[in-house]
Amino acid sequence: MLGKLLKHEIRATAHTMLPLYGLLLLVAALTNVALRTLNGKDVPAPLAILFTILIIVFGVGMMAVGLVTVFAMVQRFRKNLLRDEGYVMHTLPVSIHAHIWAKVLVATLWYALAAVVFVLSALLVAADADFVHDMANVFLELMKSLGNLQNTEILAELLGLMVLGSVYLSLMIYASLAVGHAFSSPKMLWSILTFLGLVFATSLAVYALNSLSGTILDGLIDAFYDGFAAMTAWRALCALTAGYLILFSGAYYGITVWFMRHRLNLE
Amino acid sequence: MAILKCAGLSKRYGSVSALEGLDLAVEPGRIVGLLGPNGSGKTTLIKLANGLLRPSEGQVLIDGREPGVESKKLVSYLPERACLPEWMSVQGLLGFYGDFYGDFDRAAATEMLSRLEIDPKRRFKHLSKGNREKVQLILVMSRKAKLYLLDEPIGGVDPAARDFILSTIIRSYNPEAAVIISTHLIADVEKVLDDVVFISRGRLLLNASADDLREQRGKSVDEVFREVFRC
Repeated sequence: MLGKLLKHEIRATAHTMLPLYGLLLLVAALTNVALRTLNGKDVPAPLAILFTILIIVFGVGMMAVGLVTVFAMVQRFRKNLLRDEGYVMHTLPVSIHAHIWAKVLVATLWYALAAVVFVLSALLVAADADFVHDMANVFLELMKSLGNLQNTEILAELLGLMVLGSVYLSLMIYASLAVGHAFSSPKMLWSILTFLGLVFATSLAVYALNSLSGTILDGLIDAFYDGFAAMTAWRALCALTAGYLILFSGAYYGITVWFMRHRLNLE
Repeated sequence: MAILKCAGLSKRYGSVSALEGLDLAVEPGRIVGLLGPNGSGKTTLIKLANGLLRPSEGQVLIDGREPGVESKKLVSYLPERACLPEWMSVQGLLGFYGDFYGDFDRAAATEMLSRLEIDPKRRFKHLSKGNREKVQLILVMSRKAKLYLLDEPIGGVDPAARDFILSTIIRSYNPEAAVIISTHLIADVEKVLDDVVFISRGRLLLNASADDLREQRGKSVDEVFREVFRC
Protein backbone atom coordinates (compact mmCIF):
# COMPACT_ATOMS: atom_id res chain seq x y z
CA MET A 1 0.00 0.00 0.00
CA LEU A 2 2.97 2.33 0.55
CA GLY A 3 3.56 2.34 -3.21
CA LYS A 4 -0.03 3.42 -3.88
CA LEU A 5 0.17 6.10 -1.20
CA LEU A 6 3.42 7.38 -2.73
CA LYS A 7 1.81 7.54 -6.19
CA HIS A 8 -1.10 9.61 -4.91
CA GLU A 9 1.15 11.72 -2.68
CA ILE A 10 3.43 12.63 -5.58
CA ARG A 11 0.43 13.52 -7.74
CA ALA A 12 -1.15 15.58 -4.99
CA THR A 13 2.00 17.62 -4.37
CA ALA A 14 3.29 17.80 -7.95
CA HIS A 15 0.37 19.92 -9.11
CA THR A 16 1.56 22.66 -6.72
CA MET A 17 5.33 22.16 -6.70
CA LEU A 18 6.12 21.65 -10.40
CA PRO A 19 4.51 24.92 -11.60
CA LEU A 20 6.30 26.71 -8.76
CA TYR A 21 9.71 25.33 -9.71
CA GLY A 22 8.97 25.88 -13.41
CA LEU A 23 8.09 29.50 -12.67
CA LEU A 24 11.35 30.07 -10.79
CA LEU A 25 13.38 28.65 -13.68
CA LEU A 26 11.46 30.83 -16.13
CA VAL A 27 12.06 33.94 -14.01
CA ALA A 28 15.75 32.94 -13.81
CA ALA A 29 15.98 32.76 -17.60
CA LEU A 30 14.25 36.14 -17.97
CA THR A 31 16.52 37.61 -15.28
CA ASN A 32 19.51 36.44 -17.29
CA VAL A 33 18.18 38.39 -20.29
CA ALA A 34 17.46 41.40 -18.07
CA LEU A 35 20.95 41.42 -16.55
CA ARG A 36 22.66 41.16 -19.92
CA THR A 37 20.45 43.87 -21.39
CA LEU A 38 21.05 46.24 -18.50
CA ASN A 39 24.79 45.57 -18.42
CA GLY A 40 26.38 48.82 -19.58
CA LYS A 41 23.71 49.59 -22.15
CA ASP A 42 21.19 52.38 -22.41
CA VAL A 43 17.71 51.00 -22.17
CA PRO A 44 14.43 52.91 -22.01
CA ALA A 45 13.37 53.75 -18.44
CA PRO A 46 10.17 51.62 -18.38
CA LEU A 47 12.15 48.59 -19.55
CA ALA A 48 14.86 49.26 -16.98
CA ILE A 49 12.21 49.43 -14.21
CA LEU A 50 10.61 46.22 -15.48
CA PHE A 51 13.95 44.41 -15.53
CA THR A 52 14.84 45.68 -12.07
CA ILE A 53 11.55 44.40 -10.71
CA LEU A 54 12.23 41.07 -12.41
CA ILE A 55 15.66 40.84 -10.76
CA ILE A 56 14.11 41.58 -7.34
CA VAL A 57 11.39 38.97 -7.95
CA PHE A 58 14.06 36.45 -8.82
CA GLY A 59 16.06 37.25 -5.69
CA VAL A 60 12.97 36.85 -3.49
CA GLY A 61 12.03 33.66 -5.37
CA MET A 62 15.47 32.16 -4.78
CA MET A 63 15.25 32.91 -1.07
CA ALA A 64 11.67 31.67 -0.84
CA VAL A 65 11.89 28.40 -2.77
CA GLY A 66 13.08 26.36 0.21
CA LEU A 67 10.66 27.98 2.64
CA VAL A 68 7.72 27.58 0.27
CA THR A 69 8.58 23.89 -0.16
CA VAL A 70 8.68 23.33 3.62
CA PHE A 71 5.42 25.28 4.03
CA ALA A 72 3.74 23.23 1.27
CA MET A 73 4.79 19.98 2.99
CA VAL A 74 3.47 21.22 6.35
CA GLN A 75 0.15 22.13 4.75
CA ARG A 76 -0.05 18.82 2.93
CA PHE A 77 0.44 16.77 6.10
CA ARG A 78 -1.99 18.92 8.04
CA LYS A 79 -4.73 19.06 5.41
CA ASN A 80 -4.48 15.44 4.31
CA LEU A 81 -4.11 13.65 7.66
CA LEU A 82 -5.25 16.04 10.38
CA ARG A 83 -8.18 17.91 8.84
CA ASP A 84 -11.29 16.89 6.84
CA GLU A 85 -9.42 14.75 4.29
CA GLY A 86 -8.29 12.68 7.29
CA TYR A 87 -11.75 11.08 7.37
CA VAL A 88 -10.98 9.53 4.00
CA MET A 89 -7.26 8.87 4.56
CA HIS A 90 -7.54 7.26 8.00
CA THR A 91 -10.30 4.92 6.85
CA LEU A 92 -8.21 3.53 3.99
CA PRO A 93 -6.90 0.03 4.73
CA VAL A 94 -3.44 1.46 5.31
CA SER A 95 -1.34 1.59 8.49
CA ILE A 96 -0.36 4.85 10.17
CA HIS A 97 3.27 3.90 9.49
CA ALA A 98 2.63 3.82 5.74
CA HIS A 99 0.89 7.22 5.89
CA ILE A 100 3.84 8.81 7.71
CA TRP A 101 6.49 7.20 5.49
CA ALA A 102 4.66 8.32 2.35
CA LYS A 103 4.69 11.89 3.61
CA VAL A 104 8.35 11.76 4.72
CA LEU A 105 9.63 10.22 1.49
CA VAL A 106 7.72 12.59 -0.78
CA ALA A 107 8.75 15.62 1.31
CA THR A 108 12.39 14.49 0.99
CA LEU A 109 11.95 14.18 -2.76
CA TRP A 110 10.66 17.77 -3.01
CA TYR A 111 13.38 19.15 -0.71
CA ALA A 112 15.98 17.52 -2.99
CA LEU A 113 14.27 18.90 -6.09
CA ALA A 114 14.05 22.37 -4.49
CA ALA A 115 17.84 22.25 -3.96
CA VAL A 116 18.39 21.22 -7.59
CA VAL A 117 16.07 23.99 -8.84
CA PHE A 118 17.86 26.50 -6.58
CA VAL A 119 21.25 25.60 -8.09
CA LEU A 120 19.87 25.43 -11.65
CA SER A 121 18.22 28.83 -11.42
CA ALA A 122 21.43 30.36 -10.04
CA LEU A 123 23.35 28.87 -12.98
CA LEU A 124 20.68 30.01 -15.42
CA VAL A 125 20.95 33.62 -14.27
CA ALA A 126 24.71 33.66 -14.76
CA ALA A 127 24.71 31.69 -17.99
CA ASP A 128 26.35 32.93 -21.18
CA ALA A 129 28.48 31.12 -23.76
CA ASP A 130 31.72 31.41 -21.73
CA PHE A 131 29.95 30.45 -18.55
CA VAL A 132 28.49 27.30 -20.11
CA HIS A 133 31.96 26.39 -21.34
CA ASP A 134 33.46 27.00 -17.86
CA MET A 135 30.72 25.02 -16.13
CA ALA A 136 31.24 22.11 -18.50
CA ASN A 137 34.92 22.11 -17.51
CA VAL A 138 34.05 22.28 -13.81
CA PHE A 139 31.66 19.39 -14.27
CA LEU A 140 34.33 17.31 -16.07
CA GLU A 141 36.83 18.07 -13.30
CA LEU A 142 34.24 17.07 -10.73
CA MET A 143 33.61 13.80 -12.51
CA LYS A 144 37.36 13.13 -12.63
CA SER A 145 37.74 13.85 -8.93
CA LEU A 146 34.91 11.46 -8.22
CA GLY A 147 37.10 8.81 -9.80
CA ASN A 148 39.05 9.21 -6.60
CA LEU A 149 37.34 6.80 -4.19
CA GLN A 150 37.78 9.08 -1.18
CA ASN A 151 35.98 12.02 -2.86
CA THR A 152 33.13 9.76 -3.95
CA GLU A 153 32.77 8.53 -0.39
CA ILE A 154 32.72 12.06 1.01
CA LEU A 155 30.06 13.08 -1.49
CA ALA A 156 27.98 9.98 -0.68
CA GLU A 157 28.29 10.65 3.05
CA LEU A 158 27.25 14.28 2.59
CA LEU A 159 24.25 13.27 0.49
CA GLY A 160 23.33 10.64 3.09
CA LEU A 161 23.46 13.23 5.85
CA MET A 162 21.30 15.60 3.78
CA VAL A 163 18.66 12.89 3.31
CA LEU A 164 18.74 12.08 7.04
CA GLY A 165 18.48 15.80 7.80
CA SER A 166 15.43 16.07 5.59
CA VAL A 167 13.79 13.07 7.29
CA TYR A 168 14.64 14.59 10.69
CA LEU A 169 13.11 17.96 9.75
CA SER A 170 9.96 16.34 8.33
CA LEU A 171 9.41 14.13 11.36
CA MET A 172 10.00 17.01 13.78
CA ILE A 173 7.36 19.05 11.94
CA TYR A 174 4.92 16.09 11.73
CA ALA A 175 5.31 15.32 15.45
CA SER A 176 4.57 18.98 16.27
CA LEU A 177 1.49 18.98 14.04
CA ALA A 178 0.22 15.66 15.43
CA VAL A 179 0.54 16.95 19.01
CA GLY A 180 -0.85 20.42 18.22
CA HIS A 181 -3.88 19.04 16.39
CA ALA A 182 -4.82 16.80 19.33
CA PHE A 183 -5.98 19.99 21.08
CA SER A 184 -9.37 21.46 20.24
CA SER A 185 -8.04 24.91 19.38
CA PRO A 186 -6.06 26.86 18.33
CA LYS A 187 -4.41 23.87 16.71
CA MET A 188 -1.70 25.72 14.77
CA LEU A 189 -0.64 27.71 17.82
CA TRP A 190 -0.26 24.47 19.80
CA SER A 191 1.68 22.98 16.88
CA ILE A 192 4.11 25.92 16.81
CA LEU A 193 4.55 25.77 20.59
CA THR A 194 5.20 22.02 20.36
CA PHE A 195 7.76 22.62 17.60
CA LEU A 196 9.59 25.16 19.76
CA GLY A 197 9.39 22.74 22.68
CA LEU A 198 10.89 19.95 20.57
CA VAL A 199 13.71 22.23 19.36
CA PHE A 200 14.49 23.13 22.97
CA ALA A 201 14.26 19.53 24.23
CA THR A 202 16.42 18.28 21.35
CA SER A 203 19.09 20.92 22.03
CA LEU A 204 19.14 19.93 25.69
CA ALA A 205 19.40 16.25 24.78
CA VAL A 206 22.27 16.91 22.32
CA TYR A 207 24.05 18.97 24.97
CA ALA A 208 23.58 16.21 27.54
CA LEU A 209 24.76 13.51 25.13
CA ASN A 210 27.83 15.55 24.19
CA SER A 211 28.62 16.13 27.85
CA LEU A 212 28.26 12.42 28.54
CA SER A 213 30.58 11.53 25.69
CA GLY A 214 33.19 13.81 27.31
CA THR A 215 35.79 15.13 24.92
CA ILE A 216 35.14 12.72 22.05
CA LEU A 217 33.41 15.35 19.88
CA ASP A 218 36.04 18.04 20.60
CA GLY A 219 38.77 15.53 19.82
CA LEU A 220 37.17 14.63 16.51
CA ILE A 221 36.79 18.26 15.46
CA ASP A 222 40.42 19.02 16.44
CA ALA A 223 41.63 15.97 14.54
CA PHE A 224 39.66 17.04 11.47
CA TYR A 225 41.14 20.57 11.45
CA ASP A 226 44.66 19.38 12.29
CA GLY A 227 44.65 17.35 9.12
CA PHE A 228 46.05 14.45 11.07
CA ALA A 229 43.77 11.47 10.49
CA ALA A 230 41.29 13.99 9.01
CA MET A 231 39.46 11.32 7.02
CA THR A 232 38.94 9.13 10.07
CA ALA A 233 37.75 12.14 12.05
CA TRP A 234 35.40 13.13 9.20
CA ARG A 235 33.91 9.63 9.13
CA ALA A 236 33.44 9.62 12.89
CA LEU A 237 31.78 13.06 12.76
CA CYS A 238 29.45 11.86 10.00
CA ALA A 239 28.60 8.74 12.00
CA LEU A 240 27.96 10.80 15.14
CA THR A 241 25.73 13.28 13.27
CA ALA A 242 23.88 10.44 11.56
CA GLY A 243 23.43 8.73 14.93
CA TYR A 244 21.90 11.86 16.44
CA LEU A 245 19.63 12.41 13.42
CA ILE A 246 18.41 8.79 13.53
CA LEU A 247 17.93 8.85 17.31
CA PHE A 248 15.85 12.03 17.32
CA SER A 249 13.98 11.14 14.12
CA GLY A 250 12.99 7.89 15.85
CA ALA A 251 11.69 9.83 18.84
CA TYR A 252 9.65 12.22 16.64
CA TYR A 253 8.32 9.27 14.65
CA GLY A 254 7.16 7.59 17.88
CA ILE A 255 5.42 10.80 19.01
CA THR A 256 3.67 11.18 15.64
CA VAL A 257 2.45 7.57 15.57
CA TRP A 258 1.22 7.67 19.19
CA PHE A 259 -0.73 10.91 18.77
CA MET A 260 -2.26 9.89 15.45
CA ARG A 261 -3.30 6.54 16.89
CA HIS A 262 -4.52 7.65 20.33
CA ARG A 263 -5.33 11.34 20.07
CA LEU A 264 -6.54 11.86 16.51
CA ASN A 265 -8.86 14.87 16.50
CA LEU A 266 -10.20 15.66 13.04
CA GLU A 267 -12.80 18.17 14.28
CA MET B 1 -21.75 -13.61 13.69
CA ALA B 2 -22.55 -9.92 14.16
CA ILE B 3 -20.74 -7.71 11.66
CA LEU B 4 -20.65 -4.90 14.25
CA LYS B 5 -20.51 -5.63 17.95
CA CYS B 6 -20.14 -3.15 20.78
CA ALA B 7 -19.65 -4.39 24.34
CA GLY B 8 -19.68 -1.90 27.21
CA LEU B 9 -18.43 0.72 24.77
CA SER B 10 -17.64 4.09 26.34
CA LYS B 11 -15.97 7.21 25.04
CA ARG B 12 -15.16 10.19 27.20
CA TYR B 13 -13.62 13.53 26.29
CA GLY B 14 -12.19 14.73 29.58
CA SER B 15 -15.15 14.80 31.95
CA VAL B 16 -17.70 14.74 29.11
CA SER B 17 -19.14 11.34 28.28
CA ALA B 18 -20.06 10.86 24.59
CA LEU B 19 -20.88 7.13 24.87
CA GLU B 20 -21.56 5.22 28.07
CA GLY B 21 -21.51 1.43 28.28
CA LEU B 22 -23.12 0.80 24.89
CA ASP B 23 -23.99 -2.81 24.02
CA LEU B 24 -25.09 -3.38 20.45
CA ALA B 25 -24.91 -6.11 17.80
CA VAL B 26 -25.74 -5.59 14.12
CA GLU B 27 -26.29 -8.66 11.96
CA PRO B 28 -25.46 -8.87 8.23
CA GLY B 29 -28.30 -8.16 5.79
CA ARG B 30 -29.97 -5.49 7.94
CA ILE B 31 -30.44 -1.78 7.33
CA VAL B 32 -30.25 -0.11 10.70
CA GLY B 33 -31.27 3.43 11.56
CA LEU B 34 -28.97 4.88 14.22
CA LEU B 35 -31.32 7.54 15.52
CA GLY B 36 -30.90 10.21 18.11
CA PRO B 37 -30.87 13.97 18.55
CA ASN B 38 -27.77 16.05 17.86
CA GLY B 39 -24.98 15.25 20.32
CA SER B 40 -26.44 11.88 21.29
CA GLY B 41 -23.26 9.96 20.35
CA LYS B 42 -24.14 8.69 16.85
CA THR B 43 -21.06 10.15 15.15
CA THR B 44 -18.81 9.08 18.04
CA LEU B 45 -20.04 5.48 17.65
CA ILE B 46 -19.37 5.57 13.90
CA LYS B 47 -15.90 7.06 14.42
CA LEU B 48 -15.08 4.36 16.97
CA ALA B 49 -16.17 1.66 14.52
CA ASN B 50 -13.91 3.24 11.88
CA GLY B 51 -10.91 3.41 14.18
CA LEU B 52 -10.89 7.23 14.03
CA LEU B 53 -11.30 7.27 17.82
CA ARG B 54 -10.25 4.79 20.49
CA PRO B 55 -12.66 3.63 23.18
CA SER B 56 -12.17 4.85 26.76
CA GLU B 57 -13.63 1.53 27.89
CA GLY B 58 -15.23 -1.53 26.32
CA GLN B 59 -14.81 -2.87 22.85
CA VAL B 60 -16.02 -2.40 19.31
CA LEU B 61 -15.52 -5.29 16.87
CA ILE B 62 -15.98 -5.43 13.11
CA ASP B 63 -16.55 -9.01 11.99
CA GLY B 64 -14.83 -10.13 15.18
CA ARG B 65 -11.80 -7.81 14.80
CA GLU B 66 -10.84 -4.58 16.47
CA PRO B 67 -10.76 -1.60 14.07
CA GLY B 68 -7.52 -1.64 12.08
CA VAL B 69 -6.16 -2.19 8.60
CA GLU B 70 -8.07 -5.48 8.16
CA SER B 71 -11.43 -4.16 9.41
CA LYS B 72 -11.11 -1.13 7.12
CA LYS B 73 -11.16 -3.46 4.12
CA LEU B 74 -14.69 -4.49 5.20
CA VAL B 75 -16.15 -1.09 6.07
CA SER B 76 -17.37 1.52 3.63
CA TYR B 77 -17.72 4.84 5.41
CA LEU B 78 -19.55 8.00 4.45
CA PRO B 79 -18.48 10.90 6.70
CA GLU B 80 -21.04 13.53 7.64
CA ARG B 81 -19.51 16.08 5.27
CA ALA B 82 -17.71 15.90 1.93
CA CYS B 83 -14.08 15.22 2.77
CA LEU B 84 -12.60 14.13 -0.53
CA PRO B 85 -9.45 15.85 -1.84
CA GLU B 86 -10.80 18.90 -3.67
CA TRP B 87 -8.01 19.14 -6.24
CA MET B 88 -8.83 15.72 -7.69
CA SER B 89 -11.13 15.14 -10.64
CA VAL B 90 -14.08 12.77 -10.23
CA GLN B 91 -12.25 10.34 -12.52
CA GLY B 92 -9.16 10.63 -10.31
CA LEU B 93 -11.30 9.81 -7.27
CA LEU B 94 -12.56 6.65 -8.97
CA GLY B 95 -8.91 5.66 -9.52
CA PHE B 96 -8.09 6.49 -5.91
CA TYR B 97 -10.88 4.27 -4.55
CA GLY B 98 -10.01 1.53 -7.05
CA ASP B 99 -6.38 1.58 -5.94
CA PHE B 100 -7.09 1.20 -2.24
CA TYR B 101 -10.23 -0.94 -2.15
CA GLY B 102 -10.20 -4.31 -3.87
CA ASP B 103 -14.01 -4.44 -3.67
CA PHE B 104 -14.58 -1.16 -5.53
CA ASP B 105 -16.81 -1.57 -8.61
CA ARG B 106 -15.64 1.16 -10.97
CA ALA B 107 -18.17 0.28 -13.68
CA ALA B 108 -21.06 0.67 -11.24
CA ALA B 109 -19.72 4.03 -10.07
CA THR B 110 -19.25 5.26 -13.64
CA GLU B 111 -22.79 4.18 -14.53
CA MET B 112 -24.26 6.09 -11.56
CA LEU B 113 -22.25 9.19 -12.43
CA SER B 114 -23.44 9.13 -16.02
CA ARG B 115 -27.05 8.71 -14.85
CA LEU B 116 -26.61 11.89 -12.81
CA GLU B 117 -24.85 13.59 -15.75
CA ILE B 118 -21.80 14.36 -13.60
CA ASP B 119 -18.79 14.90 -15.84
CA PRO B 120 -15.99 12.63 -14.53
CA LYS B 121 -13.39 15.08 -15.82
CA ARG B 122 -14.59 17.85 -13.51
CA ARG B 123 -12.63 18.62 -10.41
CA PHE B 124 -14.35 17.79 -7.14
CA LYS B 125 -14.06 21.40 -5.95
CA HIS B 126 -15.93 22.65 -9.01
CA LEU B 127 -19.03 20.54 -8.28
CA SER B 128 -22.10 21.91 -6.51
CA LYS B 129 -22.56 20.96 -2.83
CA GLY B 130 -25.31 18.50 -3.76
CA ASN B 131 -23.21 16.85 -6.46
CA ARG B 132 -20.23 16.57 -4.12
CA GLU B 133 -22.37 14.67 -1.62
CA LYS B 134 -23.68 12.46 -4.41
CA VAL B 135 -20.18 11.69 -5.71
CA GLN B 136 -19.03 10.77 -2.22
CA LEU B 137 -22.07 8.52 -1.74
CA ILE B 138 -21.52 6.89 -5.15
CA LEU B 139 -17.92 6.09 -4.21
CA VAL B 140 -18.96 4.64 -0.86
CA MET B 141 -21.87 2.59 -2.25
CA SER B 142 -19.85 1.27 -5.21
CA ARG B 143 -17.86 -0.91 -2.84
CA LYS B 144 -18.95 -4.47 -2.11
CA ALA B 145 -18.32 -3.95 1.58
CA LYS B 146 -19.60 -5.98 4.52
CA LEU B 147 -20.57 -2.96 6.57
CA TYR B 148 -21.65 0.48 5.35
CA LEU B 149 -21.48 3.25 7.92
CA LEU B 150 -23.33 6.29 6.62
CA ASP B 151 -23.15 9.33 8.86
CA GLU B 152 -25.97 11.77 8.11
CA PRO B 153 -26.14 10.85 4.39
CA ILE B 154 -29.17 13.07 3.79
CA GLY B 155 -28.16 15.85 6.16
CA GLY B 156 -27.54 18.87 3.99
CA VAL B 157 -29.33 18.01 0.73
CA ASP B 158 -32.66 18.91 -0.84
CA PRO B 159 -35.61 16.43 -0.86
CA ALA B 160 -34.97 15.33 -4.47
CA ALA B 161 -31.37 14.54 -3.63
CA ARG B 162 -32.55 12.65 -0.53
CA ASP B 163 -34.63 10.36 -2.74
CA PHE B 164 -31.62 9.75 -4.97
CA ILE B 165 -29.42 8.99 -2.00
CA LEU B 166 -31.88 6.56 -0.42
CA SER B 167 -32.58 4.78 -3.71
CA THR B 168 -28.81 4.53 -4.32
CA ILE B 169 -28.32 2.96 -0.90
CA ILE B 170 -31.08 0.43 -1.49
CA ARG B 171 -30.04 -0.38 -5.06
CA SER B 172 -26.30 -0.56 -4.48
CA TYR B 173 -25.69 -2.22 -1.17
CA ASN B 174 -24.54 -5.78 -0.96
CA PRO B 175 -27.56 -7.74 0.44
CA GLU B 176 -25.24 -9.74 2.66
CA ALA B 177 -23.90 -6.56 4.19
CA ALA B 178 -25.26 -4.42 6.98
CA VAL B 179 -25.98 -0.73 6.52
CA ILE B 180 -26.03 1.67 9.45
CA ILE B 181 -27.57 5.04 8.69
CA SER B 182 -27.06 7.70 11.30
CA THR B 183 -29.62 10.51 11.09
CA HIS B 184 -32.17 12.60 12.88
CA LEU B 185 -34.28 13.03 9.70
CA ILE B 186 -36.29 9.92 10.42
CA ALA B 187 -39.35 10.49 8.23
CA ASP B 188 -37.14 10.37 5.13
CA VAL B 189 -35.29 7.16 5.97
CA GLU B 190 -37.99 5.25 7.83
CA LYS B 191 -39.21 3.39 4.77
CA VAL B 192 -35.83 1.74 4.15
CA LEU B 193 -35.04 0.66 7.72
CA ASP B 194 -35.19 -2.92 9.00
CA ASP B 195 -34.11 -2.04 12.54
CA VAL B 196 -33.94 1.09 14.62
CA VAL B 197 -31.55 1.99 17.39
CA PHE B 198 -32.30 5.03 19.54
CA ILE B 199 -29.45 6.55 21.46
CA SER B 200 -29.54 9.49 23.80
CA ARG B 201 -26.67 11.09 25.72
CA GLY B 202 -24.46 8.19 24.78
CA ARG B 203 -26.79 5.50 26.10
CA LEU B 204 -28.85 2.94 24.21
CA LEU B 205 -32.55 3.69 24.66
CA LEU B 206 -34.13 1.25 22.25
CA ASN B 207 -33.08 -1.44 19.78
CA ALA B 208 -35.92 -3.02 17.84
CA SER B 209 -37.20 -4.11 14.46
CA ALA B 210 -38.85 -1.16 12.68
CA ASP B 211 -41.95 -3.26 11.85
CA ASP B 212 -42.30 -4.54 15.43
CA LEU B 213 -41.95 -1.03 16.80
CA ARG B 214 -44.65 0.33 14.49
CA GLU B 215 -46.92 -2.61 15.32
CA GLN B 216 -46.46 -2.42 19.08
CA ARG B 217 -46.82 1.37 19.37
CA GLY B 218 -49.31 1.86 16.53
CA LYS B 219 -47.18 4.77 15.31
CA SER B 220 -44.51 5.45 12.75
CA VAL B 221 -40.87 5.36 13.84
CA ASP B 222 -40.78 9.12 13.31
CA GLU B 223 -43.69 9.60 15.71
CA VAL B 224 -42.13 7.31 18.31
CA PHE B 225 -38.85 9.26 17.97
CA ARG B 226 -40.64 12.58 18.51
CA GLU B 227 -42.40 11.15 21.55
CA VAL B 228 -39.21 9.73 23.09
CA PHE B 229 -37.08 12.79 22.44
CA ARG B 230 -39.71 15.47 23.13
CA CYS B 231 -38.00 18.58 24.52
